[in-house]
Amino acid sequence: MRRGSIVRITIYGVLAGILASLVAVLVPWLPTSASEEMDRIEFTFWFTTIICIAVFAVVAAAIMYSVLKFRVHPEDESDGPPIHGHTGLEIVWTAIPAVLVTAISIVSAVVLAQNDNAGPNPIRIAVTAQQFAWKFEYPGEPRLTAGELVLPVDRPVKLTLRSLDVIHSFWVPEFGQKSDAVPGIETTLVITPNRTGEFSIICTELCGLGHPTMRAPVRVVDQAAYDEFLAGSAGSGGQDDSGEAVFETAGCGGCHAFAPAGTDAQVGPGLDAIDPGGQPLEDFLRESIVDPNAVLATGFQPDVMPATYESSLSDEQLDALVQYLVEGQQ
Amino acid sequence: MTEIVETHHAADHQPAPPRRGAEHLTKPGYIRAAWTTPLFWALGAGIVVFFRWLGGYEPTWDWTVISVVAFMTAAPVGFLAGIGSFDYWLYYISGRPTREEDHSGHGAYSWRDYFKVNTDHKVIGVQYLVTTFFFFICGGMMAMIFRAELANPDMQFVDTQTFNGLVSEHAALMIFLFIIPAFAGLANFAVPLMLGAPDMAFPRLNALSYWLLPIAGIMFLAAFLAPGGAFGAGWTGYAPLAVEGTEGNIFFQMGVQWAGASSIMTALNFLVTIITMRAPGMTFWRMPLLVWANFTTSLLVVIATPFIAGSQFFALFDRVMHTNFFNVSEGGYVLGYQHIFWFYSHPAVYIMMLPGFGIISEVIAVMSRKPVFGYRLMALSLMAILVLGFSVWAHHMFVAGMAPWLRVPMMVTSMIIAVPTGIKIFSWLATMWEGKLHFRTPMLFALGFISMFVLGGLSGIFLASVPIDIAASDTYFIVAHIHYVLFGGSVFTIFAGIYYWFPKMTGRMYNERLGKLHFWLTFIGFNGTFFPMHWVGLQGMPRRVADYAEQFGDWNMVISIFSFLLGASTLIFFYNVIVSWSRGEPAGSNPWRALTLEWQVSSPPPVFNFDQIPQVVGSPYEYGVPGARHAVLNGGARVELPDKAHEEETVR
Repeated sequence: MRRGSIVRITIYGVLAGILASLVAVLVPWLPTSASEEMDRIEFTFWFTTIICIAVFAVVAAAIMYSVLKFRVHPEDESDGPPIHGHTGLEIVWTAIPAVLVTAISIVSAVVLAQNDNAGPNPIRIAVTAQQFAWKFEYPGEPRLTAGELVLPVDRPVKLTLRSLDVIHSFWVPEFGQKSDAVPGIETTLVITPNRTGEFSIICTELCGLGHPTMRAPVRVVDQAAYDEFLAGSAGSGGQDDSGEAVFETAGCGGCHAFAPAGTDAQVGPGLDAIDPGGQPLEDFLRESIVDPNAVLATGFQPDVMPATYESSLSDEQLDALVQYLVEGQQ
Repeated sequence: MTEIVETHHAADHQPAPPRRGAEHLTKPGYIRAAWTTPLFWALGAGIVVFFRWLGGYEPTWDWTVISVVAFMTAAPVGFLAGIGSFDYWLYYISGRPTREEDHSGHGAYSWRDYFKVNTDHKVIGVQYLVTTFFFFICGGMMAMIFRAELANPDMQFVDTQTFNGLVSEHAALMIFLFIIPAFAGLANFAVPLMLGAPDMAFPRLNALSYWLLPIAGIMFLAAFLAPGGAFGAGWTGYAPLAVEGTEGNIFFQMGVQWAGASSIMTALNFLVTIITMRAPGMTFWRMPLLVWANFTTSLLVVIATPFIAGSQFFALFDRVMHTNFFNVSEGGYVLGYQHIFWFYSHPAVYIMMLPGFGIISEVIAVMSRKPVFGYRLMALSLMAILVLGFSVWAHHMFVAGMAPWLRVPMMVTSMIIAVPTGIKIFSWLATMWEGKLHFRTPMLFALGFISMFVLGGLSGIFLASVPIDIAASDTYFIVAHIHYVLFGGSVFTIFAGIYYWFPKMTGRMYNERLGKLHFWLTFIGFNGTFFPMHWVGLQGMPRRVADYAEQFGDWNMVISIFSFLLGASTLIFFYNVIVSWSRGEPAGSNPWRALTLEWQVSSPPPVFNFDQIPQVVGSPYEYGVPGARHAVLNGGARVELPDKAHEEETVR
């Protein structure tokens, strides 16, 4: 190869590398990290990115050089030189990628081990997923149940995930960590929040019609506020049994529009002006919650709404929920 | 340039004689199918009703069971029997004298012959391609609809059920009815010719495997008519959602059986053809890389496809027969579905990629006028991908809750696959090096493929790394990656292959200007659609959502606009293909001056391909080697290079 060619191909490679680096730096690829796990994932991400930019630059340079240098006039009927291979080159481009992916694998395996390690004394919170809501049980006596996830900053948390119906997936982009909640088995997830703020849990496994709305709030607070949250809610009897709270924790808003709760989903019928079809409104609501297929609103399919609320809600919660809906009628 | 000539062996090969009267009802054809299909349907329904009545099950008339048995099993078999897929075998099985083969069902004399059961591999190849592009249009239109919905947050055009149905159908059609069978169609046309064989090993089986496809496709599309709408659990059909979901899921679970059976039959046919029907002198190390690619792909299909059939049967049985494979309350194991499903569906990624590798090897060597660089390593890397492909399935399940110890080994094997894939990329680049590059449309698509597939491969490295995958799983990053691999990868190679063999299939040349326009619009539309999805996903947008957070609105609008450009670009392709097919310039037998055997016969090739079986004497890629020959044809076909004794040609 001539000297001039080497210079030219190097220039192409550098140009491609700069272009790729600009795309990598200027575009906001990752959300701002809010956990130690996400910090490590970011490190792995950028480590891999640097290697990938180098590979991309090499390939792009070879393509650009070939396209510009070796193109011939359509009428040119000559053939190229009959080069059949080059053992040395083939060994090089087998060995170098092997080394690079080995490096990425080692870094990834170390990071994975660290991200799985919750330390000796994590806070254990049980997460229950069901169509289309999240429920969180906090440690302590009496056990506190809530529809929002509140975590103290800088403390490792070990989440235990369960699902009551189909597969869901727990993801907070700023925490990086993700795990499916699978019916029949328990999965775990370690998160160590290192920044206070408000985030959102996003269900990332298609779980039915309400899937896009299956969100829940996350708050990362300092230790004092966390203790206050546990004590404050515990003081009111372990859990908030007001109709409004039940509406939220049972995930009604994932599918139903209801003005007092501020929800506008359209998977299921709206709840602002319910037509009980001749029954007393309260009986109709109670029946529709525990046996959703009994009476179907026009234009809606059976078997969409979970039929599990008779067992998952206590009698008091059911009463409160019905009352809340009755009071909200327009 | 040779004229397009109708080459027939007129003596032993004629169209079937016209039919009279009642013969229309008894001879194979659509009229016979019109009464055999309902007859078989009635038989299926009768069996169901009889046994339900016998066992005292209520209700006796159960639509779910009737759908599975009568509509989706018996009626298609009746249709296949009606159009004559089984005639020869049934004569043989029943001990009646088989009718003497008059070759009336072999080769096409008019456009009508493409709508009949035909045993000519070239006709079947065209049938495959036209059918798969029909479903490509269907799947593409669905993408246009849901991209319109996704252009803005909130719901505008469709409801959530319709959206989930469109997304799932789009993927199912593109995978099972477009990419996999389109490659089978191209290979059907090219592989026997490249081997110097008169046809596939089992022509009747070949015809049957084609006719299973439209059945599978219609079944997928018919799901939109099911109560509750089409299957909406994603093309992955995860249990328990697909088991508990609407009846539409049955259409996916049964449709996959038909498409899968078609794949398996074709793959067996390819394997036997490649092993036993190579022309004299065509050793394995002299086979074109397209043949190598289809050999490895067929091995993958034969080994892996029964697993998806199994996973879908389990899910179907859970619903229809009340088994408990995935029913947790009765001890079922939900993750079992995913393990079995991905044990097929990861190798399926290579089923959708290796034939493309073969196409690109052909195109790059011919259009660079150079031998394929490192031919043996190219073939061996295909085999390496085949073997490694079976050891990586659980990288789809890093967040699924499977045994944690399985993650690091699966990460390592997934990473290692980058090595044989890298060998292929670098060898293509080396093939172009110092070549005489002709940028015809197939070459543009080949280069587009290499650059896009490199990007798809690099994002694959991110996903193989477990910690990054945990963050990126089930987000739009995955959607971006899969489209860089399956669109920038597979679909670009399908276009390269169509443009490359178009003159051979039709005898006419496509319009080069429109071909190039098609490439550039596709390339721009593709990148504009799928590149932003990478960061949209990592930032927090999950896949398969009809509605999303406001913050992603702007990028989704950009993505949708580019996706419409991408959709519009295919109109140019269809216009080009249709007009060129009927009115294009005659292409001559070998417009690319290629050495492989399919270019040494007329365009379109004679019905039995070669007047005499050719004698293969050397490698198929000896461009620039003075006096080198790939094969000697005695049958009067054009001789490419000066006749010089060149008996033994080493490959390297």
